[in-house]
Formats: sequence, structure tokens, C-alpha cells
Amino acid sequence: MENDGRRKFLGVCLAGATTVAVAAAAYPVLQYLAPRSGAQGADKLVFATTDIPEGEAKFFEYAGAAAVLVKTKSGNIAALSAVCTHLGCIVQWEKDKQDFICPCHGGLYSAEGAVTGGPPPKPLAKIPVSVAEGKITVG
Amino acid sequence: MALLKRVYDWIDLRIGAREIVKKELTGYLLPRNINEWYSLGSVLMVIFALQVLTGMLLMVYYVPDAEKAFRSVTFVMNELPYGWLIRLCHAVGSNMMVAVLILHMLSTLMMGSYKSPRELNWVSGFTLFALVQGISLTGYLLPWSQLSFWATTVATNSANAIPVVGPYLVEFLRGGKLVGPPTLGRFFAVHVAVLPVVIAAVIGAHLFLLKRTGISTPPFGSLETKKPWRPDSYSYQHHPGGIPFFPNYALQDLTSICVYFAIFLAVVFFLPNMLFTPDAFVPANAFKTPAHIKPEWYFLANYQTLKIFPSELLGLSIQAAAMTFLALLPFIDRSPERHPLKRPVFLACAIGGILLWIGLSVWGHFS
Ligand code: FES
Repeated sequence: MENDGRRKFLGVCLAGATTVAVAAAAYPVLQYLAPRSGAQGADKLVFATTDIPEGEAKFFEYAGAAAVLVKTKSGNIAALSAVCTHLGCIVQWEKDKQDFICPCHGGLYSAEGAVTGGPPPKPLAKIPVSVAEGKITVG
Repeated sequence: MALLKRVYDWIDLRIGAREIVKKELTGYLLPRNINEWYSLGSVLMVIFALQVLTGMLLMVYYVPDAEKAFRSVTFVMNELPYGWLIRLCHAVGSNMMVAVLILHMLSTLMMGSYKSPRELNWVSGFTLFALVQGISLTGYLLPWSQLSFWATTVATNSANAIPVVGPYLVEFLRGGKLVGPPTLGRFFAVHVAVLPVVIAAVIGAHLFLLKRTGISTPPFGSLETKKPWRPDSYSYQHHPGGIPFFPNYALQDLTSICVYFAIFLAVVFFLPNMLFTPDAFVPANAFKTPAHIKPEWYFLANYQTLKIFPSELLGLSIQAAAMTFLALLPFIDRSPERHPLKRPVFLACAIGGILLWIGLSVWGHFS
């Protein structure tokens, strides 16, 4: 009986030490593999108004994700997330139709990002944008 | 606990797990006078597993491209959280593996366990020794530092001394006339894809041979009733009345593994720069050979041997002869006596050989 008690005690100690050792090894490995925060790019971007002709779109990276700047034929400027709200493909600009199409499942969005057809459940997210003195500031 | 037992019962019913445990663990009997040296094989398996694991982690960020390799290693060391730990474990571990490998060899050498019927165990073990040296040599180039670059230049260059095929062999090893980006490509492939798999397979063969022959009885202490092996028919060497592998010897294995980790981690944490000379922190430059380029410690004896002989071919041949002699030792030293003190000629040669190796290494270090 006494022997059993000791055996159990030593077993618990061994299991405890093993758990601590595993945790001590797992922590650095998880830190090592964790995605790097702060490596997501700038949160403010400046373009010259001459960068985008009317009726065209310019794709760029914003806060670690794809974004798009459009200037409609009427001269309206909008900055939108280019990530389709359905399953995350990147939308494409159709210059002739002045809208966005998602190549994955045919989602359609207007130049302002509103859903006009297909499966997307939500409009494209808007990114704050301001125009002043020939400069477009995104973010 | 009850659930665990039910899962175990379920598995046992299908594959006879209890039978395996009884046969391979609790009923696997080892000689009563077994000693600590027999646990070095287990330590080596743990080291190899750790090398594979840390190697996989390094591959997440390492870029095998001559333009980017050095930067990627610097990034792992200086910028990634705990990247230094992973890299040092891999670099220190490779050195430790060679060291423990040498101890394991010396113990089987001193206890004469390489003798009949365990010749194949020795030969497979010696193969592993050569393969581990190969994986160390190829890994050494990957950081693409001045040290990597020039150590590899010198190492591959020594094949030049081989008559007829030498110069072509050097070019083949390097993938070009000189060490350069093609060398990195082939060394990387050999280091991460070829040798780990080959080593794992040879470890498997080594263990298989061990299982078929049975573990040897140490020549010291209270010997079991002696029943010499006879070369007329196959028989597994049983150890009736011995101690079970589990839990008794598993505890010894675990103890040795803990002692190993204490030493290993002490180096990783307190002497991390022991392995690195200043040239290890400078990116490779093919137009600038650093002043004192030396191989890793376990190649220093080979390095010095090449240096002291006037002809490279002679130096190389002597090394090849020594390696062949060691590889074939069980077929040369055939007396059945295993106690080192009862083999004075062997003991004298062994100690002489070890001292010579140490002497050459020290000389190589200071020359
Ligand atoms: S992901 Fe865009 S429509 Fe499905």
C-alpha cells in the first residue's frame, strides 16, 4: 500500500514535470510560428490624382489586404476593399461596364461597392478616402 | 481513467496491444549487469528527432537562395521571437549528435559489443556515423556565411587529391568549378530531403538488427551463465532472469536523456557562441577568403592530417584506410574476448588511436 502511494506520487511528479517541459517547449515554438504583427504595411497611403485616369481602377495593398481605388466616369473617387464578401476572392474592374465582377462565383458590385448581382451577401467594405490639392489620401 | 482503459481495451482487442507491450516492453528482458552506456542509443534517437523537428521549423523561414540565405538566417536569429532558440538548438544539436555518436561508438568498442554475432550492428552504426557527418557538412553551408562558404570550399577541395576522377568529383560536388549558388541548391536538397530519410532508414535497420540478435551482455560485473554464441545456427540472445526494459531500463534511458538535455541546454543558453567564429556573422564573399578558416571540431583531425602530409593523396589515403579499418573492425578483431582489460593489445591500440585523434584535433585547432 505504502509502495503504491509512493509510486502514485512519483507518477504525478513525473507527469507534472513533463507537462511543464512540454509547455516550456511549445511556447517558444508557437511564438516563432505566430504571424508577424506590425508587418501589415502602412495604414495611410497617398496617390497623385493623375495616377488613375477617369473610368479606371487601381489595385493596391492596404493594411495587409487587397484594396482598390476607382474613379468613375463622372469623376467620383471611392476606395474599397477588393476582397469579395462571398468567399474572399479578389474582385476585378470591368472598365466597359463600370462595375466589379468577382471571377469565383460571378458576384457583381457597382463602382460604389454595392451588390448588384450574384451570391455576395454584403457590399464591399469602404475605406476612408480624401482628395485635396491633387493628392488622394487613403486611410 | 476508466475511459482510457476502455479505449486501450478496444485497441487491444483488435491488435493485441497488451501482447506487444508484454513482448517488447515489460517482458523484454535485459542483462542484469546492463550499464548506463547502453542508454546512449536512446539519447541519439531523441537528438535525431529534435534535429528533424527544429529543422522543419527552420525551413519555415529559411530561403535556400544564395542572395537571400544569409539574410533569412539573420532574420531568424535577430527578429523572429525565439528564432535564436530554434536555430541554436539545431546548430548545437548537430554538434552534440556527433559527440554522443562518438561516445556510443567508444562504448561498444570498449565492451567489444561489435564482435560476433553483432558485426552488422557495428557496420550499420558506422554507416550512420558517416551519414551524420555528411548531414553536418551539408548543413554547414546553408547559412551562406563566410565560414560556411570557405569551410565548404576547403572540404570539397580535398576530393581533388583522388587520382583520375578527383577534379571531376570536386566539380560534381559543387555543381560548378567553384562553390556558388548551385552548390547551395544541391547541399540544401541533400541536407533536408535525402540524408534525413536515409538516416531514418538506417536507424530502422540498426534497430531491426538489434532486435533480431538481442542485446549483448556487458563484459563487466556479475555475468549471467555464459553461453557463448556459436556460428552454426541463428539464435536470439535471451537474458533469462534479466531486468525488464519497461519500467526499469526505460527509467535509465530517461535519466540519460535528462542529463543530455542539461548539458545541451547549458551550451544553448550559456555558451551560444562557442560554435561560431566571427566569420559566421559575415555573408559569404566569393572574392575574399578569410584568414583562419577551420572546419568544425570533429573534422579537425582530418584537416590536420591533410595538412601534415606533403602529398594530399597520401593524407587522404591514410584517412580512407583508417576509416575502412574502423568500419571493418569486427572482421579484423575476431577473438571472442570482450573484457577490455583482457585485450591488452586492443586496449593499447584503442587508447593510442583516441590520443592520436585528440592530438591531431588539438594540433589542427592551434595550427
Ligand atoms: S467569392 Fe466572390 S462571388 Fe464567391
